[in-house]
Amino acid sequence: MILDLHSHSIASDDGRAKVENYCKWIRKKEVPIDGFVLTEHRQFDFAGDYAALARDFDLTILKASEVETEYGHVLVFGVTPALTERFDFGAIGLPLVRVIEESQHHGAIAVPCHPGRTKVGMCAHIETLGVPDGVTIVETLNGGSRGSEDESAQAMAAQLGYQGVGGSDAHIVSHIGRCATRFPAPVRSETELVEALQAGEFEALSWK
Amino acid sequence: MEVEDLKEKFLKLNFDEAEFHVDGDDMVGFALACGETAARYTDPADPDFHATPTFPARFHGRRMLPRDIPLGGKIPLDAGKAVMPQKKIRPGTKLVGRSHLHDIYEKTGRSGRMIFLVSRMELFDEAEDLACIVDSRMVVRERPGE
Amino acid sequence: MTIARFEDVEFGDDLPTFDPDTGMENVRRFAKAAQMMAARFTDHEGAKKEGLAGAMVPGVMSQAILAAMIHRWAPDADLVKIDTIFRAPVMVDERHHVNGVVTDLNEDERTAEVDLTVTNDAGETRVLGTATVKLP
Repeated sequence: MILDLHSHSIASDDGRAKVENYCKWIRKKEVPIDGFVLTEHRQFDFAGDYAALARDFDLTILKASEVETEYGHVLVFGVTPALTERFDFGAIGLPLVRVIEESQHHGAIAVPCHPGRTKVGMCAHIETLGVPDGVTIVETLNGGSRGSEDESAQAMAAQLGYQGVGGSDAHIVSHIGRCATRFPAPVRSETELVEALQAGEFEALSWK
Repeated sequence: MEVEDLKEKFLKLNFDEAEFHVDGDDMVGFALACGETAARYTDPADPDFHATPTFPARFHGRRMLPRDIPLGGKIPLDAGKAVMPQKKIRPGTKLVGRSHLHDIYEKTGRSGRMIFLVSRMELFDEAEDLACIVDSRMVVRERPGE
Repeated sequence: MTIARFEDVEFGDDLPTFDPDTGMENVRRFAKAAQMMAARFTDHEGAKKEGLAGAMVPGVMSQAILAAMIHRWAPDADLVKIDTIFRAPVMVDERHHVNGVVTDLNEDERTAEVDLTVTNDAGETRVLGTATVKLP
């Protein structure tokens, strides 16, 4: 089971892709993924219902969020209505440790993304803020990375013992699936995704 | 700079009006430099000669942003542009551009906290017909610790 | 290959690409026509004095290059909207590539949505965007 864990639709301010067109693109171009996770910026898209699209295209379409902390951007998988009451998803500079702890308490999991990117990635902040508690997984392959950003992420993950996932960070249709994550068993829901991440059996992949 | 304060004070209010003269030579130079090959954009003798659709994006008003918007002395950088052509623009046309802030939002980027200001210029021709809409996304970056 | 009518277009079609001229001489030609003769666009040393890595291609030029690619592909099409996001500087005198691909079709409106990118030789996306194109 291969899922692109990081993508944005028109629900994000800088997203330009309709979810249906992601689906069409994956099938038309035979992108080797079985689904994707919508990680809209600074929000959780409660309104979006993609069950019909998922069925029509035989894809797994899940929803998550990309929030912004003092350590950079963080994907939150397994978002629940109760979790969105615990901190302001729209805020800039949320405390990472709080995001991690609140996520854990609500059955979710927080994963710092593109950590090798300056300012919005975790690597750059560790020198000044120290190693944050509670991180277990980071995004080591990101479809939008430039230069050696992914290498920096992988080096940090190796040094600190984090596991790595992959996601395209697609903002336009044709970028979906450039990076993804392979799981050993099917993942059909947000709950199963959190369980699969907690189980720790996955592998980051790239087709860049 | 609090985004909600900026929205309340500046959103949707016209802050600039400026006139622009559309020059045929500039239209040709603009088109050729960008790789246009169609005669309607590159040859003034073509019966349908007009500006490339994104040509109006080059017009700047007297002000890019409202006069008293508090940016702390920072110069906004160009983060993106959207152009929605409404009418063919011919050489010699006189356009009037009216600008307002269409959206304001914030996020963090590679260089720290950023405030995005979307300035919309609506360009009208002599007949007061809307000729083009140009949205300029400008970003103001805050330095760490600000 | 050029497109004459909406019926000629298929979801997923690639637009014929071309390598735009982002050399200093051509950028200066553009800057003159666009009345954007600022050092940050037209002079590497002047740009460095402003704290930049070198002269940058104006965003308006990158956008117009992407529009030109659409016109080369569909000469009789009308651009309804082009929306570009400047993710990273397009550096003058570096080689770049423009790409476009059809990602949506609206039969009622006879429009195509096109994903647009400007990438450098390292494959990094410097500019991305979308366009809505109305076809005969």
